[in-house]
Amino acid sequence: MIEPAGEPQSAGGAPETSSPRHTIELRGVSKRYRGTEALAPLDLEIRDGEFFCLLGPSGCGKTTTLNLIGGFVEATSGEIVIQGENVTNVPPHQRNVNTVFQSYALFPHLTVRDNVAFGLKMSRVPARESEVRTRDALELVRLTDYADYYPAQLSGGQQQRVAVARALVNRPAVLLLDEPLGALDLKLRKQLQVELARIHRDVGTTFVFVTHDQEEAMAMADRIAVMNSGRIEQVGTPEEIYARPSSRFVADFVGESNFFEVERRGDGTVVTAGGSPVPCSMGASSDWSRATLMVRPEAIRFAAHKGEHLCLEGEVLQSSFLGSFTRVAIACADTQAPVLATLPYGKRHRQELRVESTVSFTWDPEDAVVLDLQQA
Amino acid sequence: MAAENADVVARHRRVVRAGLGAWAVLIYAFLFVPIALLMLFSFNANRYGTFPITGWTLHWYEEALSNYQIQDAVQTSLQVALEVTMISTVVGTAAAFPLVRSRLPFRGGIRASLTLPILIPGLLIGVALLSYFTNLFNLQLSIQTAVIGQAVYATPFVILVVASRLEGFDRLLERAASDLGADTWKRLRYIVLPLIGPAVVAGALFAFTLSLDEFIITLFLIGGHNTLPIYIYTQVKFGITPEVNAVATMLIAASLSVSLLAFATPTLVRLARRRLATARPGTSAGRAA
Repeated sequence: MIEPAGEPQSAGGAPETSSPRHTIELRGVSKRYRGTEALAPLDLEIRDGEFFCLLGPSGCGKTTTLNLIGGFVEATSGEIVIQGENVTNVPPHQRNVNTVFQSYALFPHLTVRDNVAFGLKMSRVPARESEVRTRDALELVRLTDYADYYPAQLSGGQQQRVAVARALVNRPAVLLLDEPLGALDLKLRKQLQVELARIHRDVGTTFVFVTHDQEEAMAMADRIAVMNSGRIEQVGTPEEIYARPSSRFVADFVGESNFFEVERRGDGTVVTAGGSPVPCSMGASSDWSRATLMVRPEAIRFAAHKGEHLCLEGEVLQSSFLGSFTRVAIACADTQAPVLATLPYGKRHRQELRVESTVSFTWDPEDAVVLDLQQA
Repeated sequence: MAAENADVVARHRRVVRAGLGAWAVLIYAFLFVPIALLMLFSFNANRYGTFPITGWTLHWYEEALSNYQIQDAVQTSLQVALEVTMISTVVGTAAAFPLVRSRLPFRGGIRASLTLPILIPGLLIGVALLSYFTNLFNLQLSIQTAVIGQAVYATPFVILVVASRLEGFDRLLERAASDLGADTWKRLRYIVLPLIGPAVVAGALFAFTLSLDEFIITLFLIGGHNTLPIYIYTQVKFGITPEVNAVATMLIAASLSVSLLAFATPTLVRLARRRLATARPGTSAGRAA
């Protein structure tokens, strides 16, 4: 097995300038391309051995951030510290970081074995050790039998694993993965998600993974940084980000959500724009007057009887049985977009949610996340 | 009525097709009959190097190969061709990189003008270089001045071949190599050159054949020496001897085989790689066992 990257390969030299718990620190790092800001100054700490995910739509700056860590892009300002060493001005081939590229970038003229051994050859690892490490790396990604094939003879998933082995064999402090599953079909992608998570557990190296697929991020990451137009919106565990999104963008990008524009009245009741009172745990605190409530579809409950306290009413637009759950879209006077609700299989008879029937629904106060607080 | 019509159309089509076929044969004959005759006469015992064919012989080849003037000309030709190949391969390959990769302004224009010597008549290149060498620099004409003249002509071919290969080169591969610890030189040595290698070899072979039978530029610039084409030219001034036919035949054979090699190199490399790839898994299984 490949051992965890304990120390930097340039061991001994660099003085420890930061807490060893962080493999990567970005301090005020920004990037401008010809005057346009690709990345606003950002601070980010990635912990030792964690599977960290940069998540966001295209153009949000996630790949730029990855390229800054890899050294392929020069920072306009700020500094990048990897394992306590300031590498801001160190070229990629001297950084203790390896990358798995989206299109894999395997060398077509070299066999799988020679591809994997390339990094070791470059750093002049003795032949015997190189052979052992290459074999171990191929074993790690379960491609031992393909050592003598050329990349063109492998399937997409196999090529992807060669790329992972080629990077990990160098025992980098950090493995950077740039949408490595993007070119694969859905089923293979799911398999490789499991595979990558296993490899991460086996080697214990810090992984930094870039993706625009929130499900992929949730499936693998220990922590996620959600990015939007050159800024980090929120950093947290998948649960934190799903349950307590810090902005409307995060709530919208990660999972499905319903938004209600609300007002807080003097008596502490919270009402929608249409004037209907709704459940909200923040009614008691008096330092705000307007906000957006975010409620996940699975938190929406249908009232057992009409006129239940703090209910909204609406007309069922569509009710779709999707196997493990039923998804209901409700036209509601208090929101612009239809309210989405999901009901687990067997929880409720479909007939009761017939299209065009009127329903009343509500949620528990602690399920409503209050966003965009504003003073009067 | 309709059937009759179709019949007419079909007959018409047959006639046109036969006519075009005959025309194609004529063109082929026009191109290749003289060369075929020249080859034929080189084996003809008739000492005037023409019809009638009085018998078959290799005598003229023997004669040609033992003629020291011809030996000398062949040697000069090979020396010139090798030097031209080296210069134009190195210069052409190096030039292809900025032409494909840099963000130079007017890159298209620069590229066009660098490949222009292909279109400039050899006569012009020859005269221009002659006055440049003799009037401007007072150089003695020699094999070296001929080499420079031919390199001017051959380099653009190398640029074209290598540049077209570089266009299709995935630069991400270099980034990956850099990520794995390869500096600029190692990237060139282990990634770029092996991948564009077939094109470089093809370019070199082109340069070699172009040089081997280049005549006009060489005539202006080589001074007192003879390359093979120039020797043949001086001989035919006094009538075509069977010996010249033999030399010309050998020259054709050499040029043809080198150009064939040039065209086939990329394919051969690909085939060899595939062969290796399918052959080796077996050996690795043996090693594992």
